[in-house]
Amino acid sequence: MAPEGTTTLTTLHPWAWWCWAIGIGIAVSGTTNPLLLALIATAMVVVVMLRRSSAPWARSVKAYLLLSLFVIGMRVFFQVLIGSGSGDTVLFALPEIPLPEWAAGIRLGGPVTAEGLVRTLYDALRLAVMLLCIGAANALANPRRALRSVPAALYEASVAVVVALSVAPQLIESAQRVRRARRLRGEPAKGLGMLSTVAMPVLGDAIERSISLAAGMESRGFARTRGLPIRGALPLMLVSVLCSVLGLFLLLSSTWWLLASSLLVAGLLGTAWGFHRAGRALRVTAHRPDSWGWRETLVGVSGIGAAVLVLALGWLDPSGGALHPSTDPLQWPDLTVAMLVVTALTLAPLLLTRARALQTVASVRHDTRVRSLRPQVQQELASR
Amino acid sequence: MTGSDRRVSAALVVALVAGVVAFAWPLFLRPESGISAAQAPILFALVLPLVLAIVLSELAGGRMDVKALAMLGVLAAVGTILRPLSAGTAGFELIFFLMILAGRVFGAGFGFALGAITLFTSALITSGVGPWLPYQMLTAGFVGLFAGWLPKATGRAELLILATYGMVSAFTYGWLMDFSFWPFAIGDGTQLSFDPSASPWENLHRFVLFNLATSMGWNLGRALTNAVLVFLLGAPLLRLFRRTARQAAFVPLGSTAPLAE
Repeated sequence: MAPEGTTTLTTLHPWAWWCWAIGIGIAVSGTTNPLLLALIATAMVVVVMLRRSSAPWARSVKAYLLLSLFVIGMRVFFQVLIGSGSGDTVLFALPEIPLPEWAAGIRLGGPVTAEGLVRTLYDALRLAVMLLCIGAANALANPRRALRSVPAALYEASVAVVVALSVAPQLIESAQRVRRARRLRGEPAKGLGMLSTVAMPVLGDAIERSISLAAGMESRGFARTRGLPIRGALPLMLVSVLCSVLGLFLLLSSTWWLLASSLLVAGLLGTAWGFHRAGRALRVTAHRPDSWGWRETLVGVSGIGAAVLVLALGWLDPSGGALHPSTDPLQWPDLTVAMLVVTALTLAPLLLTRARALQTVASVRHDTRVRSLRPQVQQELASR
Repeated sequence: MTGSDRRVSAALVVALVAGVVAFAWPLFLRPESGISAAQAPILFALVLPLVLAIVLSELAGGRMDVKALAMLGVLAAVGTILRPLSAGTAGFELIFFLMILAGRVFGAGFGFALGAITLFTSALITSGVGPWLPYQMLTAGFVGLFAGWLPKATGRAELLILATYGMVSAFTYGWLMDFSFWPFAIGDGTQLSFDPSASPWENLHRFVLFNLATSMGWNLGRALTNAVLVFLLGAPLLRLFRRTARQAAFVPLGSTAPLAE
């Protein structure tokens, strides 16, 4: 059967972007080398800038950058204020303030060492780049399309999410209508009293809307939930997911990493199989589904490859090596060939996709071709 | 009790177990395991979505009729709008009282689904998707879940119970979220940092100090907001929800609709 979806070079399956970003994020979690982190962050930002769309979610990467800076700032603040003062190179000393008895062992202030500060900066930078990876996935993947490609067993839950996403703007409009009506009646719109007099009509409106929506959905065949269609797959899924939680617990709390990771992987595979079985029982079809082609596979593999490479390097050299440069004594971090490979894998989606064509908008005001002429026209007008 | 009822509680029990393990990881992480404190929450963030997916597919797919599904979507939309309104103002969180009241009227399963889906949708709108999202969804789900399991009461006593629960759940939500991301937020090498080689008690002591210093105001603000909103809007909203529940007869499939109270 030929795939129904149309494939273009500019759109990638949203889950491919997520797979790539999570893979890079896992790779980042395995290193504190600031040079590698800076390279990955730059590559990430380049990919986002060149491949993002003009949709609202594509601007979210700025929020994640700010969050990253906040994380770095907060960690440095705590290190300076209540740092444990390891290392010998004292940069400066804050006045010490002893704390009462119940907070025994804690002192505010004291000497601030270069070693402690650099260590904190490395660790904070790692976290910041991990956040940036999540931000990149948010900016590149269309959340609504990602929602459409969830497993069929999650169909009903995704219907609830889609309802929520589409009703939310209508509710804002409804709140504005109620406030306008109150103003026309000359009622004061202030204080806590307003909260209940505006909130109740809006909520009542919302609930009435849900009843009529339910009627509409029922007439369009949404009410097919008779009994529990995923019943057969449920015990398998529950046992598998418990298995993976147990595996994770062992992975964190013991040294039996072989047993732990095989439990984890078995649990994940079992859950995936359970979802597949549950989905088959549901027979849900999608209209023009996003297709998963070789480009999606390669983008996903590049992310996972980066993760595997960094984790393997860390496993081969448990003492740290180039991935975890020493901060006590302070040392200039090294850059190895493997790290350049990780950076190249981060940049791989650039080769596999093409930049979006600039959108032509009906209004001349937003037409990019017209807008590009504007400075010229203004210059000509000015020179006249 | 039908067969599907028992299964829902099985899925929720699995979610509770996974939640306990996921939130308590700073207590059992050992340094010799080779996993760093920055990687642990990420690992859980990869497994918890599966737990949530199973519970939600079970709740929404098997237990809800189309009216409950539409109600779930609309109430999640209300929460989605309220969340950005309340962000950034000292714990003034407007979303929890809605989950508590809805969980009270429509049942524990609905409360869980509403909590989880509200957090998910608002994260999509404000692009707040990150490793913390599965944790937030699970905790908010538990806030709605336990609201459905509160003891029976009417009138003032009911409002009092709900307001108390609102305060308790606000603190619990804050503590659980802070605890699971505390090693992540402050980093290592300070005196209030998580130390994998220290005993669980020592770590707990450090966490309490860190939390008192940084998050007490937020948690208190959230608790007071919940209590005030339950007292202000609780009675009319409960009435509204109950009327709708009677109209639409939100009952488990296979059983008969209850008569008006």
